[in-house]
Amino acid sequence: MSLVEIKGLAIRFGSLHNPIHAVRHVDLSIERGTIHGLIGESGCGKTISGMALLGLLPQSARVSADAFRFDGLNLLDVAKSLRGRRIAMISQDPAAALNPVLRIGRQMDDVLKSHSGLPRFQRRAVAEELLAATGLADPRRVLKSYPHQLSGGMQQRVVIAQALATGADFIIADEPTTALDVTVGAQVLALLKRLVQERALTVLMITHDMDVVAECCDSATVLYAGHTVEAGRTDELLAAPRHPYTQALLAALPDAVAKGERLASIEGHIPSPFAVIEGCPFAPRCASAMAVCRQAKPPERDDGNHCWTCHLEPHHG
Amino acid sequence: MDEPLLQIRDLVVRYRRTGLFSAPPPPAVNAVSLALATGSTLGLVGESGSGKSSLLRAILRLVPVESGTIRLDGDDWLALPEQRLRERRRAIGVVAQNPFLSLSPRLTIAEILAEPMTAQGRVPAEELRLRAAEMLERCGLPGTFLSRRARELSGGQAQRVAIARALVLQPKLLILDEPTSALDISVQAQILNLLEDLKRELGLSMLFVTHNLKVVRHVSDTHVVMRGGRIIEAGSTEQISSAPAEEYTRQLMGYGRNPTGAEVASARRG
Repeated sequence: MSLVEIKGLAIRFGSLHNPIHAVRHVDLSIERGTIHGLIGESGCGKTISGMALLGLLPQSARVSADAFRFDGLNLLDVAKSLRGRRIAMISQDPAAALNPVLRIGRQMDDVLKSHSGLPRFQRRAVAEELLAATGLADPRRVLKSYPHQLSGGMQQRVVIAQALATGADFIIADEPTTALDVTVGAQVLALLKRLVQERALTVLMITHDMDVVAECCDSATVLYAGHTVEAGRTDELLAAPRHPYTQALLAALPDAVAKGERLASIEGHIPSPFAVIEGCPFAPRCASAMAVCRQAKPPERDDGNHCWTCHLEPHHG
Repeated sequence: MDEPLLQIRDLVVRYRRTGLFSAPPPPAVNAVSLALATGSTLGLVGESGSGKSSLLRAILRLVPVESGTIRLDGDDWLALPEQRLRERRRAIGVVAQNPFLSLSPRLTIAEILAEPMTAQGRVPAEELRLRAAEMLERCGLPGTFLSRRARELSGGQAQRVAIARALVLQPKLLILDEPTSALDISVQAQILNLLEDLKRELGLSMLFVTHNLKVVRHVSDTHVVMRGGRIIEAGSTEQISSAPAEEYTRQLMGYGRNPTGAEVASARRG
Protein backbone atom coordinates (compact mmCIF):
# COMPACT_ATOMS: atom_id res chain seq x y z
CA MET A 1 0.00 0.00 0.00
CA SER A 2 1.21 3.49 -0.78
CA LEU A 3 2.19 5.68 2.13
CA VAL A 4 0.36 8.68 0.69
CA GLU A 5 -2.77 8.27 -1.42
CA ILE A 6 -4.48 11.41 -2.68
CA LYS A 7 -7.34 11.39 -5.20
CA GLY A 8 -9.18 14.40 -6.56
CA LEU A 9 -7.80 16.93 -4.06
CA ALA A 10 -9.31 20.40 -4.50
CA ILE A 11 -8.48 23.47 -2.42
CA ARG A 12 -10.48 26.68 -2.79
CA PHE A 13 -10.29 30.09 -1.18
CA GLY A 14 -12.51 33.16 -1.24
CA SER A 15 -16.19 33.54 -2.00
CA LEU A 16 -18.49 30.63 -2.74
CA HIS A 17 -19.74 31.93 -6.14
CA ASN A 18 -16.37 33.06 -7.46
CA PRO A 19 -13.75 31.01 -5.62
CA ILE A 20 -9.99 31.04 -6.14
CA HIS A 21 -9.05 27.54 -7.27
CA ALA A 22 -5.60 26.99 -5.77
CA VAL A 23 -5.74 23.24 -6.40
CA ARG A 24 -8.36 21.76 -8.74
CA HIS A 25 -7.78 18.05 -9.11
CA VAL A 26 -4.57 16.59 -7.73
CA ASP A 27 -3.92 12.86 -7.64
CA LEU A 28 -0.76 11.83 -5.84
CA SER A 29 0.44 8.43 -4.81
CA ILE A 30 3.76 7.97 -2.99
CA GLU A 31 5.32 4.59 -2.31
CA ARG A 32 7.10 3.92 0.98
CA GLY A 33 10.86 4.34 0.98
CA THR A 34 11.02 6.42 -2.19
CA ILE A 35 11.66 10.03 -3.16
CA HIS A 36 8.71 11.35 -5.13
CA GLY A 37 8.99 14.57 -7.11
CA LEU A 38 6.12 17.05 -7.35
CA ILE A 39 6.94 19.12 -10.43
CA GLY A 40 5.30 22.27 -11.66
CA GLU A 41 5.73 25.95 -12.45
CA SER A 42 4.75 28.88 -10.22
CA GLY A 43 1.08 28.87 -9.32
CA CYS A 44 0.41 25.23 -10.21
CA GLY A 45 -0.50 24.35 -6.62
CA LYS A 46 2.52 22.26 -5.65
CA THR A 47 3.42 24.12 -2.45
CA ILE A 48 -0.19 24.39 -1.26
CA SER A 49 -0.66 20.65 -1.82
CA GLY A 50 2.37 20.11 0.44
CA MET A 51 0.87 22.46 3.03
CA ALA A 52 -2.36 20.45 2.94
CA LEU A 53 -0.36 17.30 3.77
CA LEU A 54 1.09 19.12 6.78
CA GLY A 55 -2.25 20.46 7.91
CA LEU A 56 -0.91 23.99 7.53
CA LEU A 57 -3.66 25.45 5.35
CA PRO A 58 -5.27 28.63 6.67
CA GLN A 59 -8.75 28.43 8.19
CA SER A 60 -10.25 30.03 5.10
CA ALA A 61 -9.25 27.13 2.82
CA ARG A 62 -12.01 24.78 1.70
CA VAL A 63 -10.58 21.34 1.08
CA SER A 64 -12.33 18.45 -0.62
CA ALA A 65 -10.96 15.14 -1.82
CA ASP A 66 -12.16 11.71 -2.91
CA ALA A 67 -9.28 10.23 -0.95
CA PHE A 68 -6.66 11.96 1.21
CA ARG A 69 -4.87 9.27 3.16
CA PHE A 70 -1.53 8.95 4.91
CA ASP A 71 -0.68 5.42 5.99
CA GLY A 72 -4.37 4.52 5.92
CA LEU A 73 -5.41 7.51 8.06
CA ASN A 74 -7.70 10.22 6.70
CA LEU A 75 -5.51 13.33 6.63
CA LEU A 76 -8.50 15.67 6.55
CA ASP A 77 -9.01 14.70 10.19
CA VAL A 78 -5.54 14.06 11.52
CA ALA A 79 -3.04 16.15 9.49
CA LYS A 80 -2.42 18.51 12.41
CA SER A 81 -1.66 15.72 14.85
CA LEU A 82 0.74 14.00 12.43
CA ARG A 83 2.75 17.12 11.73
CA GLY A 84 6.00 16.98 13.65
CA ARG A 85 5.38 13.36 14.69
CA ARG A 86 5.23 11.46 11.39
CA ILE A 87 5.47 14.30 8.85
CA ALA A 88 8.24 16.92 8.85
CA MET A 89 9.22 19.67 6.46
CA ILE A 90 12.40 21.09 4.96
CA SER A 91 11.93 24.55 3.49
CA GLN A 92 13.61 26.35 0.65
CA ASP A 93 15.68 28.82 2.61
CA PRO A 94 17.53 27.25 5.56
CA ALA A 95 18.61 30.67 6.82
CA ALA A 96 14.96 31.61 7.29
CA ALA A 97 14.08 28.27 8.89
CA LEU A 98 16.66 28.69 11.66
CA ASN A 99 16.42 31.24 14.44
CA PRO A 100 19.33 33.68 13.93
CA VAL A 101 19.78 34.54 17.63
CA LEU A 102 19.95 31.01 19.08
CA ARG A 103 22.81 28.55 18.84
CA ILE A 104 22.21 25.38 16.80
CA GLY A 105 22.51 23.33 19.99
CA ARG A 106 19.53 25.08 21.57
CA GLN A 107 17.49 24.77 18.39
CA MET A 108 18.22 21.04 18.05
CA ASP A 109 17.43 20.56 21.73
CA ASP A 110 14.06 22.31 21.42
CA VAL A 111 13.00 19.82 18.77
CA LEU A 112 14.28 16.81 20.74
CA LYS A 113 12.77 18.03 24.02
CA SER A 114 9.27 18.17 22.58
CA HIS A 115 9.52 14.94 20.58
CA SER A 116 11.77 12.45 22.33
CA GLY A 117 11.18 12.76 26.08
CA LEU A 118 14.85 11.93 26.67
CA PRO A 119 16.78 13.50 29.58
CA ARG A 120 19.05 16.42 28.78
CA PHE A 121 22.44 14.69 28.59
CA GLN A 122 21.07 12.05 26.25
CA ARG A 123 19.45 14.66 24.03
CA ARG A 124 22.83 16.25 23.51
CA ALA A 125 24.33 12.94 22.40
CA VAL A 126 21.40 12.33 20.05
CA ALA A 127 21.77 15.83 18.56
CA GLU A 128 25.44 15.17 17.87
CA GLU A 129 24.63 11.84 16.32
CA LEU A 130 21.95 13.34 14.05
CA LEU A 131 24.23 16.14 12.87
CA ALA A 132 26.93 13.57 12.13
CA ALA A 133 24.37 11.51 10.19
CA THR A 134 23.72 14.50 7.93
CA GLY A 135 27.39 14.60 6.99
CA LEU A 136 28.52 17.48 9.21
CA ALA A 137 32.17 16.82 10.01
CA ASP A 138 32.36 18.49 13.42
CA PRO A 139 28.96 18.25 15.18
CA ARG A 140 30.29 19.70 18.47
CA ARG A 141 31.42 22.88 16.80
CA VAL A 142 28.15 23.12 14.85
CA LEU A 143 26.13 22.78 18.08
CA LYS A 144 28.00 25.77 19.53
CA SER A 145 27.58 27.89 16.37
CA TYR A 146 24.98 30.45 15.42
CA PRO A 147 23.30 29.95 12.01
CA HIS A 148 25.21 32.83 10.38
CA GLN A 149 28.50 31.08 11.18
CA LEU A 150 27.53 28.16 8.92
CA SER A 151 27.44 28.01 5.13
CA GLY A 152 24.16 27.53 3.27
CA GLY A 153 24.83 23.85 2.71
CA MET A 154 25.65 23.30 6.40
CA GLN A 155 22.49 25.17 7.44
CA GLN A 156 20.39 22.96 5.19
CA ARG A 157 22.00 19.88 6.78
CA VAL A 158 21.08 21.22 10.23
CA VAL A 159 17.47 21.69 9.07
CA ILE A 160 17.47 18.10 7.77
CA ALA A 161 18.86 16.91 11.13
CA GLN A 162 15.99 18.74 12.86
CA ALA A 163 13.49 17.01 10.59
CA LEU A 164 15.07 13.67 11.57
CA ALA A 165 14.99 14.65 15.24
CA THR A 166 11.20 14.72 15.18
CA GLY A 167 11.27 11.01 14.37
CA ALA A 168 9.14 11.62 11.28
CA ASP A 169 9.17 8.97 8.57
CA PHE A 170 7.74 11.25 5.86
CA ILE A 171 9.57 14.45 4.91
CA ILE A 172 8.21 17.16 2.64
CA ALA A 173 11.10 19.04 1.04
CA ASP A 174 9.98 22.26 -0.65
CA GLU A 175 12.68 23.31 -3.14
CA PRO A 176 15.47 22.35 -0.69
CA THR A 177 18.31 23.17 -3.10
CA THR A 178 17.10 26.35 -4.81
CA ALA A 179 19.01 28.64 -2.45
CA LEU A 180 22.22 26.58 -2.71
CA ASP A 181 25.04 26.36 -5.24
CA VAL A 182 24.70 23.58 -7.79
CA THR A 183 27.46 21.38 -6.37
CA VAL A 184 26.31 21.94 -2.77
CA GLY A 185 22.72 21.24 -3.83
CA ALA A 186 23.87 17.97 -5.40
CA GLN A 187 25.47 16.98 -2.06
CA VAL A 188 22.23 17.73 -0.18
CA LEU A 189 20.27 15.60 -2.66
CA ALA A 190 22.78 12.77 -2.27
CA LEU A 191 22.36 13.05 1.52
CA LEU A 192 18.56 12.79 1.25
CA LYS A 193 18.95 9.74 -1.00
CA ARG A 194 21.24 8.08 1.55
CA LEU A 195 18.92 8.90 4.48
CA VAL A 196 15.94 7.46 2.60
CA GLN A 197 17.81 4.18 2.30
CA GLU A 198 19.33 4.07 5.79
CA ARG A 199 16.31 5.21 7.78
CA ALA A 200 13.40 3.96 5.68
CA LEU A 201 12.19 7.52 5.05
CA THR A 202 9.80 8.67 2.36
CA VAL A 203 10.36 12.10 0.79
CA LEU A 204 8.08 14.35 -1.24
CA MET A 205 10.37 16.63 -3.24
CA ILE A 206 8.54 19.77 -4.37
CA THR A 207 10.50 21.40 -7.19
CA HIS A 208 10.37 23.15 -10.54
CA ASP A 209 13.82 21.93 -11.53
CA MET A 210 14.00 18.91 -13.85
CA ASP A 211 17.65 18.43 -12.90
CA VAL A 212 16.69 17.91 -9.25
CA VAL A 213 14.09 15.35 -10.31
CA ALA A 214 16.59 13.51 -12.51
CA GLU A 215 19.21 13.61 -9.77
CA CYS A 216 17.24 12.09 -6.90
CA CYS A 217 13.60 11.16 -7.52
CA ASP A 218 12.41 7.59 -8.05
CA SER A 219 9.06 8.72 -9.38
CA ALA A 220 7.32 12.03 -9.99
CA THR A 221 3.99 13.77 -10.54
CA VAL A 222 3.63 16.72 -12.90
CA LEU A 223 1.10 19.44 -11.99
CA TYR A 224 -0.37 22.06 -14.29
CA ALA A 225 -2.85 24.71 -13.12
CA GLY A 226 -3.83 22.67 -10.07
CA HIS A 227 -4.28 19.41 -12.00
CA THR A 228 -2.19 16.27 -12.01
CA VAL A 229 -1.40 15.83 -15.69
CA GLU A 230 1.15 13.03 -15.61
CA ALA A 231 2.82 10.69 -13.14
CA GLY A 232 5.26 7.85 -13.39
CA ARG A 233 8.77 6.59 -12.80
CA THR A 234 11.36 9.33 -13.30
CA ASP A 235 13.28 7.62 -16.11
CA GLU A 236 10.04 6.97 -18.01
CA LEU A 237 8.78 10.48 -17.40
CA LEU A 238 11.95 12.20 -18.59
CA ALA A 239 12.73 9.90 -21.51
CA ALA A 240 9.23 9.41 -22.89
CA PRO A 241 6.79 12.02 -21.54
CA ARG A 242 3.21 11.39 -22.70
CA HIS A 243 1.35 14.56 -21.74
CA PRO A 244 1.83 17.51 -24.14
CA TYR A 245 2.61 19.80 -21.18
CA THR A 246 5.40 17.56 -19.88
CA GLN A 247 6.74 17.30 -23.41
CA ALA A 248 6.66 21.09 -23.83
CA LEU A 249 8.32 21.62 -20.45
CA LEU A 250 11.21 19.29 -21.31
CA ALA A 251 11.54 20.81 -24.78
CA ALA A 252 11.90 24.28 -23.20
CA LEU A 253 15.07 23.29 -21.32
CA PRO A 254 18.22 24.87 -22.76
CA ASP A 255 19.83 21.49 -23.43
CA ALA A 256 16.83 20.19 -25.39
CA VAL A 257 17.91 21.76 -28.68
CA ALA A 258 21.17 22.13 -30.54
CA LYS A 259 23.12 25.31 -29.82
CA GLY A 260 21.89 28.33 -31.73
CA GLU A 261 18.43 26.84 -32.31
CA ARG A 262 15.44 28.53 -30.75
CA LEU A 263 14.10 27.04 -27.54
CA ALA A 264 10.54 25.78 -27.67
CA SER A 265 8.68 28.18 -25.41
CA ILE A 266 5.08 27.54 -24.40
CA GLU A 267 2.88 30.32 -25.79
CA GLY A 268 0.20 31.94 -23.66
CA HIS A 269 -0.33 32.03 -19.91
CA ILE A 270 -1.51 29.65 -17.21
CA PRO A 271 -5.26 29.95 -16.62
CA SER A 272 -6.39 32.42 -13.98
CA PRO A 273 -7.15 30.81 -10.60
CA PHE A 274 -10.67 32.26 -10.93
CA ALA A 275 -11.31 30.60 -14.31
CA VAL A 276 -13.83 27.81 -14.65
CA ILE A 277 -12.14 25.04 -16.61
CA GLU A 278 -14.50 22.77 -18.55
CA GLY A 279 -12.05 20.61 -20.48
CA CYS A 280 -8.33 20.03 -20.29
CA PRO A 281 -6.51 22.84 -18.40
CA PHE A 282 -3.68 22.84 -20.94
CA ALA A 283 -5.92 22.97 -24.05
CA PRO A 284 -5.55 26.73 -24.78
CA ARG A 285 -1.74 26.41 -24.97
CA CYS A 286 -1.47 22.89 -26.39
CA ALA A 287 -0.09 22.48 -29.91
CA SER A 288 -2.12 19.33 -30.54
CA ALA A 289 -5.41 20.49 -28.98
CA MET A 290 -8.65 19.31 -30.58
CA ALA A 291 -12.21 20.62 -30.21
CA VAL A 292 -13.01 18.00 -27.58
CA CYS A 293 -10.12 19.17 -25.37
CA ARG A 294 -11.91 22.42 -24.57
CA GLN A 295 -15.24 20.76 -23.78
CA ALA A 296 -14.68 17.56 -21.84
CA LYS A 297 -12.36 16.45 -19.06
CA PRO A 298 -9.58 14.31 -20.54
CA PRO A 299 -9.63 10.60 -19.72
CA GLU A 300 -7.01 9.00 -17.50
CA ARG A 301 -4.64 6.81 -19.45
CA ASP A 302 -2.21 4.23 -18.18
CA ASP A 303 0.47 2.16 -19.85
CA GLY A 304 1.54 0.14 -16.83
CA ASN A 305 4.20 2.25 -15.12
CA HIS A 306 3.11 5.67 -16.28
CA CYS A 307 -0.24 7.48 -16.23
CA TRP A 308 -1.46 10.73 -17.72
CA THR A 309 -4.67 12.55 -18.61
CA CYS A 310 -5.12 13.49 -22.27
CA HIS A 311 -7.67 13.18 -25.07
CA LEU A 312 -4.97 12.19 -27.57
CA GLU A 313 -4.86 8.48 -28.28
CA PRO A 314 -1.52 7.05 -27.19
CA HIS A 315 0.78 6.05 -30.03
CA HIS A 316 1.72 2.45 -30.21
CA GLY A 317 5.09 1.21 -31.42
CA MET B 1 38.50 40.91 -35.72
CA ASP B 2 40.61 43.71 -34.35
CA GLU B 3 40.37 44.81 -30.73
CA PRO B 4 37.84 42.98 -28.54
CA LEU B 5 35.07 45.07 -26.99
CA LEU B 6 36.14 44.13 -23.47
CA GLN B 7 39.66 43.12 -22.55
CA ILE B 8 40.67 42.41 -18.98
CA ARG B 9 44.30 41.77 -18.01
CA ASP B 10 45.60 40.46 -14.67
CA LEU B 11 42.78 42.05 -12.72
CA VAL B 12 43.09 41.89 -8.93
CA VAL B 13 40.32 43.03 -6.59
CA ARG B 14 40.92 42.90 -2.86
CA TYR B 15 38.59 44.16 -0.15
CA ARG B 16 39.79 46.12 2.86
CA ARG B 17 41.23 44.37 5.90
CA THR B 18 38.68 43.90 8.65
CA GLY B 19 40.75 45.33 11.50
CA LEU B 20 43.82 47.55 11.90
CA PHE B 21 46.18 44.66 12.70
CA SER B 22 44.49 41.82 10.82
CA ALA B 23 46.13 40.36 7.75
CA PRO B 24 44.77 41.61 4.41
CA PRO B 25 42.12 39.19 3.10
CA PRO B 26 42.94 37.05 0.05
CA PRO B 27 42.00 38.76 -3.21
CA ALA B 28 38.36 38.32 -4.27
CA VAL B 29 39.47 38.41 -7.90
CA ASN B 30 42.96 37.05 -8.50
CA ALA B 31 44.84 37.79 -11.73
CA VAL B 32 41.85 37.38 -14.02
CA SER B 33 42.33 37.92 -17.74
CA LEU B 34 39.59 37.57 -20.32
CA ALA B 35 38.45 39.02 -23.62
CA LEU B 36 34.99 39.47 -25.08
CA ALA B 37 34.82 39.93 -28.86
CA THR B 38 32.26 42.35 -30.32
CA GLY B 39 28.95 40.61 -31.01
CA SER B 40 29.72 37.48 -29.02
CA THR B 41 28.57 36.09 -25.68
CA LEU B 42 30.88 35.14 -22.85
CA GLY B 43 29.50 32.86 -20.16
CA LEU B 44 30.87 33.30 -16.63
CA VAL B 45 30.27 30.31 -14.35
CA GLY B 46 31.12 29.89 -10.68
CA GLU B 47 29.72 29.11 -7.25
CA SER B 48 29.03 31.67 -4.50
CA GLY B 49 32.28 33.23 -3.35
CA SER B 50 34.08 32.44 -6.59
CA GLY B 51 34.55 36.14 -7.31
CA LYS B 52 32.18 36.53 -10.23
CA SER B 53 30.18 39.33 -8.64
CA SER B 54 33.36 41.15 -7.61
CA LEU B 55 34.56 40.88 -11.20
CA LEU B 56 31.28 42.37 -12.45
CA ARG B 57 31.50 45.18 -9.91
CA ALA B 58 35.04 45.92 -11.02
CA ILE B 59 33.87 46.16 -14.64
CA LEU B 60 31.13 48.55 -13.51
CA ARG B 61 33.77 50.45 -11.47
CA LEU B 62 31.84 49.97 -8.26
CA VAL B 63 34.79 48.52 -6.31
CA PRO B 64 38.39 49.73 -6.23
CA VAL B 65 40.81 47.63 -8.26
CA GLU B 66 44.22 46.76 -6.81
CA SER B 67 46.00 46.13 -10.09
CA GLY B 68 45.39 45.15 -13.68
CA THR B 69 43.71 46.83 -16.63
CA ILE B 70 40.29 46.84 -18.23
CA ARG B 71 39.89 48.11 -21.79
CA LEU B 72 36.31 48.71 -22.85
CA ASP B 73 35.36 49.95 -26.29
CA GLY B 74 38.77 51.56 -26.86
CA ASP B 75 39.00 53.30 -23.47
CA ASP B 76 41.41 52.56 -20.67
CA TRP B 77 38.35 52.01 -18.50
CA LEU B 78 39.97 52.13 -15.05
CA ALA B 79 41.87 55.34 -15.82
CA LEU B 80 38.77 57.19 -16.98
CA PRO B 81 38.17 60.25 -14.75
CA GLU B 82 34.95 60.40 -12.73
CA GLN B 83 33.46 63.21 -14.82
CA ARG B 84 33.63 61.24 -18.04
CA LEU B 85 32.50 58.03 -16.40
CA ARG B 86 28.80 58.86 -16.31
CA GLU B 87 28.72 59.58 -20.00
CA ARG B 88 30.80 56.52 -20.94
CA ARG B 89 28.93 54.17 -18.65
CA ARG B 90 26.09 54.14 -21.15
CA ALA B 91 28.16 51.61 -23.07
CA ILE B 92 27.15 49.03 -20.43
CA GLY B 93 23.65 47.77 -19.66
CA VAL B 94 22.96 45.60 -16.63
CA VAL B 95 20.18 43.09 -15.95
CA ALA B 96 19.97 41.68 -12.42
CA GLN B 97 18.68 38.38 -11.15
CA ASN B 98 15.40 39.39 -9.55
CA PRO B 99 13.38 41.93 -11.56
CA PHE B 100 11.10 42.70 -8.63
CA LEU B 101 14.08 43.88 -6.60
CA SER B 102 15.68 45.83 -9.43
CA LEU B 103 12.52 47.66 -10.59
CA SER B 104 11.20 50.35 -8.29
CA PRO B 105 7.69 49.47 -7.08
CA ARG B 106 6.75 53.16 -6.93
CA LEU B 107 7.43 54.06 -10.56
CA THR B 108 5.44 53.25 -13.68
CA ILE B 109 7.17 51.28 -16.43
CA ALA B 110 7.38 54.50 -18.48
CA GLU B 111 9.24 56.24 -15.63
CA ILE B 112 11.52 53.24 -15.13
CA LEU B 113 12.50 53.25 -18.80
CA ALA B 114 12.91 57.05 -18.88
CA GLU B 115 15.27 57.18 -15.90
CA PRO B 116 18.49 56.12 -17.71
CA MET B 117 17.79 58.63 -20.48
CA THR B 118 17.16 61.58 -18.16
CA ALA B 119 20.29 60.66 -16.21
CA GLN B 120 22.24 61.29 -19.39
CA GLY B 121 20.85 64.80 -19.88
CA ARG B 122 17.66 66.59 -20.84
CA VAL B 123 15.43 64.71 -23.26
CA PRO B 124 12.04 66.06 -24.44
CA ALA B 125 9.13 64.18 -22.77
CA GLU B 126 7.70 63.20 -26.13
CA GLU B 127 10.91 61.53 -27.21
CA LEU B 128 11.27 59.76 -23.85
CA ARG B 129 7.91 58.13 -24.24
CA LEU B 130 8.55 57.21 -27.86
CA ARG B 131 11.90 55.59 -27.17
CA ALA B 132 10.56 53.79 -24.09
CA ALA B 133 7.62 52.38 -26.07
CA GLU B 134 9.88 51.31 -28.93
CA MET B 135 12.31 49.45 -26.66
CA LEU B 136 9.46 47.83 -24.74
CA GLU B 137 7.98 46.55 -28.00
CA ARG B 138 11.37 45.19 -29.02
CA CYS B 139 11.40 43.23 -25.79
CA GLY B 140 8.01 41.73 -26.57
CA LEU B 141 5.62 43.84 -24.48
CA PRO B 142 2.89 46.13 -25.89
CA GLY B 143 3.05 49.91 -25.34
CA THR B 144 0.01 49.70 -23.04
CA PHE B 145 2.34 48.36 -20.33
CA LEU B 146 3.96 51.80 -19.98
CA SER B 147 1.37 52.97 -17.47
CA ARG B 148 1.62 49.86 -15.29
CA ARG B 149 3.79 49.27 -12.23
CA ALA B 150 6.17 46.38 -11.61
CA ARG B 151 3.89 44.58 -9.15
CA GLU B 152 1.23 44.22 -11.86
CA LEU B 153 3.61 42.15 -14.02
CA SER B 154 4.49 38.47 -14.02
CA GLY B 155 8.12 37.46 -13.44
CA GLY B 156 8.79 37.05 -17.15
CA GLN B 157 7.19 40.38 -18.05
CA ALA B 158 9.14 42.18 -15.32
CA GLN B 159 12.40 40.67 -16.58
CA ARG B 160 11.53 41.92 -20.09
CA VAL B 161 11.12 45.44 -18.64
CA ALA B 162 14.51 45.11 -16.90
CA ILE B 163 16.09 44.11 -20.22
CA ALA B 164 14.39 47.02 -22.00
CA ARG B 165 15.74 49.41 -19.36
CA ALA B 166 19.25 48.04 -19.78
CA LEU B 167 19.04 48.53 -23.56
CA VAL B 168 17.35 51.91 -23.73
CA LEU B 169 20.67 53.79 -23.99
CA GLN B 170 21.85 51.44 -26.74
CA PRO B 171 24.80 49.94 -24.86
CA LYS B 172 27.39 47.83 -26.61
CA LEU B 173 27.89 45.47 -23.68
CA LEU B 174 25.03 43.82 -21.83
CA ILE B 175 25.86 42.30 -18.43
CA LEU B 176 23.35 39.68 -17.29
CA ASP B 177 23.67 38.44 -13.70
CA GLU B 178 21.65 35.20 -13.41
CA PRO B 179 18.84 36.68 -15.53
CA THR B 180 16.71 33.53 -15.62
CA SER B 181 17.33 31.75 -12.31
CA ALA B 182 14.27 33.35 -10.67
CA LEU B 183 12.01 32.31 -13.57
CA ASP B 184 10.01 29.20 -14.46
CA ILE B 185 11.35 26.85 -17.14
CA SER B 186 8.95 27.90 -19.91
CA VAL B 187 9.52 31.60 -19.14
CA GLN B 188 13.28 31.04 -19.07
CA ALA B 189 13.00 29.69 -22.62
CA GLN B 190 11.16 32.85 -23.73
CA ILE B 191 13.76 35.15 -22.18
CA LEU B 192 16.71 33.21 -23.65
CA ASN B 193 15.07 33.38 -27.09
CA LEU B 194 14.53 37.12 -26.66
CA LEU B 195 18.19 37.69 -25.71
CA GLU B 196 19.28 35.73 -28.78
CA ASP B 197 17.08 37.92 -31.02
CA LEU B 198 18.29 41.17 -29.43
CA LYS B 199 21.90 40.10 -29.74
CA ARG B 200 21.46 39.51 -33.47
CA GLU B 201 19.36 42.62 -34.19
CA LEU B 202 21.38 45.09 -32.12
CA GLY B 203 24.83 43.50 -32.49
CA LEU B 204 25.19 43.27 -28.71
CA SER B 205 28.03 41.67 -26.81
CA MET B 206 26.93 39.88 -23.68
CA LEU B 207 28.56 38.86 -20.44
CA PHE B 208 26.31 36.16 -19.04
CA VAL B 209 26.81 35.18 -15.39
CA THR B 210 25.15 32.01 -14.16
CA HIS B 211 25.66 28.81 -12.20
CA ASN B 212 23.54 26.86 -14.68
CA LEU B 213 25.98 25.31 -17.12
CA LYS B 214 23.16 24.16 -19.38
CA VAL B 215 22.02 27.73 -19.90
CA VAL B 216 25.61 28.80 -20.54
CA ARG B 217 26.12 26.04 -23.06
CA HIS B 218 23.04 27.22 -24.93
CA VAL B 219 23.71 30.96 -25.04
CA SER B 220 27.44 31.55 -25.03
CA ASP B 221 30.20 31.29 -27.61
CA THR B 222 33.04 31.11 -25.10
CA HIS B 223 33.00 30.68 -21.38
CA VAL B 224 35.14 30.82 -18.29
CA VAL B 225 34.76 28.92 -15.02
CA MET B 226 35.82 30.77 -11.85
CA ARG B 227 36.67 29.35 -8.47
CA GLY B 228 38.28 31.04 -5.48
CA GLY B 229 38.83 34.26 -7.43
CA ARG B 230 40.73 32.60 -10.28
CA ILE B 231 39.73 31.43 -13.71
CA ILE B 232 40.21 27.66 -13.58
CA GLU B 233 38.97 26.88 -17.05
CA ALA B 234 38.45 28.95 -20.19
CA GLY B 235 37.73 28.22 -23.81
CA SER B 236 35.08 27.75 -26.42
CA THR B 237 31.80 26.43 -25.11
CA GLU B 238 31.95 23.27 -27.28
CA GLN B 239 35.41 22.47 -26.00
CA ILE B 240 34.57 22.87 -22.31
CA SER B 241 31.27 21.04 -22.44
CA SER B 242 32.63 18.09 -24.43
CA ALA B 243 35.88 17.70 -22.53
CA PRO B 244 35.94 19.59 -19.22
CA ALA B 245 39.48 19.55 -17.86
CA GLU B 246 38.77 20.44 -14.24
CA GLU B 247 37.06 18.16 -11.72
CA TYR B 248 34.79 21.02 -10.60
CA THR B 249 33.58 21.66 -14.14
CA ARG B 250 32.96 17.94 -14.58
CA GLN B 251 30.81 17.93 -11.43
CA LEU B 252 28.79 20.82 -12.78
CA MET B 253 28.36 19.19 -16.18
CA GLY B 254 27.37 15.81 -14.75
CA TYR B 255 24.57 17.21 -12.60
CA GLY B 256 20.94 16.48 -13.39
CA ARG B 257 19.39 15.07 -16.52
CA ASN B 258 22.10 13.09 -18.17
CA PRO B 259 20.73 12.24 -21.60
CA THR B 260 20.99 15.35 -23.76
CA GLY B 261 17.88 16.64 -25.48
CA ALA B 262 18.78 14.99 -28.76
CA GLU B 263 19.01 11.57 -27.10
CA VAL B 264 15.70 12.10 -25.32
CA ALA B 265 14.07 13.08 -28.60
CA SER B 266 15.39 10.00 -30.39
CA ALA B 267 14.31 7.78 -27.49
CA ARG B 268 10.84 9.24 -27.84
CA ARG B 269 10.75 8.59 -31.57
CA GLY B 270 12.25 5.12 -31.33
